[in-house]
Amino acid sequence: MTFDWSVVWQHRDALMAATGTTILLTFATMAIAVPCGIMVAALRLYAWKPVRALATSYVELFRNLPLILVVYWAFYVLPIMTGLGLSPLATGLAALVLNVTAYNAETFRAGINSIRRGQVEAAMALGMSRLQALRRVVLPQALRRILPVLASTWVSLFKDTSLVSVIAVTELAYVAMQIRAQTFRVLEMLTAMAAIYWLLGYPQAKLVDWMQRRFAVTE
Amino acid sequence: MNKSATQSGRTKAGGITIIRYRGVVKRYGDFQALSGIDLDVHAGEVVCLIGPSGSGKSTLLRCTNGLESIEGGDIEFEGTALPRDERELRAVRTRMGMVFQSFELFPHLTALANVAEGPRTVLRKHAAEANRRASAMLAKVGLADKAPNYPSALSGGQQQRVAIARALAMEPDVMLFDEPTSALDPETIGEVLNVMKQLADEGMTMVVVTHEMTFARRVGDWIAVFDAGRIVEQGPPEQIFDAPTTERTRDFLSHLGWTG
Repeated sequence: MTFDWSVVWQHRDALMAATGTTILLTFATMAIAVPCGIMVAALRLYAWKPVRALATSYVELFRNLPLILVVYWAFYVLPIMTGLGLSPLATGLAALVLNVTAYNAETFRAGINSIRRGQVEAAMALGMSRLQALRRVVLPQALRRILPVLASTWVSLFKDTSLVSVIAVTELAYVAMQIRAQTFRVLEMLTAMAAIYWLLGYPQAKLVDWMQRRFAVTE
Repeated sequence: MNKSATQSGRTKAGGITIIRYRGVVKRYGDFQALSGIDLDVHAGEVVCLIGPSGSGKSTLLRCTNGLESIEGGDIEFEGTALPRDERELRAVRTRMGMVFQSFELFPHLTALANVAEGPRTVLRKHAAEANRRASAMLAKVGLADKAPNYPSALSGGQQQRVAIARALAMEPDVMLFDEPTSALDPETIGEVLNVMKQLADEGMTMVVVTHEMTFARRVGDWIAVFDAGRIVEQGPPEQIFDAPTTERTRDFLSHLGWTG
């Protein structure tokens, strides 16, 4: 068996662009799923009971479905439901956001619950509203505590973006598979793909380790 | 009850009434935490609430600024019943400073930012004005040099003094102290009590839940003795500590080893 690694170099532009899409998907998903996660967590904690139940159902639904199923579902069902012809990228993003928001909501809820009641009382005794107390006192502390968890979610998300390749989003996994199909260089392309994911993922994982040490709670 | 009898020996009773409790009742489920509390707090007075743990002192304090709601009776603050509406209640809270047993400083903020937080967020002062006021308050409690420190780098006594400065920065009409020295090491209790004494000397109206009998005796103008959700006796410190009129007060003080 002979290897021809030049195939990787020949397709470097396509691979680079695809890697860019993978990174973009990761950033865009988190940028939306963090505020949405806070919102869902707040609804689960403070909202009127039926709304609370709705938020809980959302979290339990999407946390317990395989992401790949959500991706397919978004691809086939979203256009029918919304009447919009979303691009594969937007559809993939929507699926990732639905999934990660559910995880983030649970993370934020745990973080908010970990801040003791006295902190809110101290804020309210100063005359703050519940919302002000949440924004100025509870969330900044909760965020510090859950940063390592959010970072772990980030690393998982970075790898899970590969699942949207099934609906032809031109991210790294999809493009690498396309090149493989055209050139029949299976081993080379899979190895190249693994190398790119690993080289980008490893520093992120190290960053998470560092955060876990750096933001260990001291009180 | 005969009013003049309950007020005898009350040197500052001439001041306007800041807080008036009438028949205050508080329940937690089946447990009756307060069973009809009558008490007045006049301007410039230091009223100390003493009594065994679980007798309702802290509960009354927490009802005063609406952290707990009451099931019966009235609490009047500066002549108006405590509002039920959240927004109006918040306005009242800005005029009552509260100091907690466990300090409850905000751990993610420096000492200065802790004190500036109320003026900044609630009173909507500009950052410069809020910081100026915060610096002045830290200086007042003797901690000007600790402004850039985070609470975790301060001793318990220092944290509690920052908490007092945080409450004072709102320029309240009354200060509520909920066992401010109970969580402190013995060697740092004194510095907190000194700040409180200084405040009292400046004429601040204060309601203090405390187990520090020496402080209550020296600084208090009026003492209310709690037991099982009731005030069993109230009067000037000389009466309570030297000539208590009820068995329950004598019992309580002798349990503490109080000898006058």
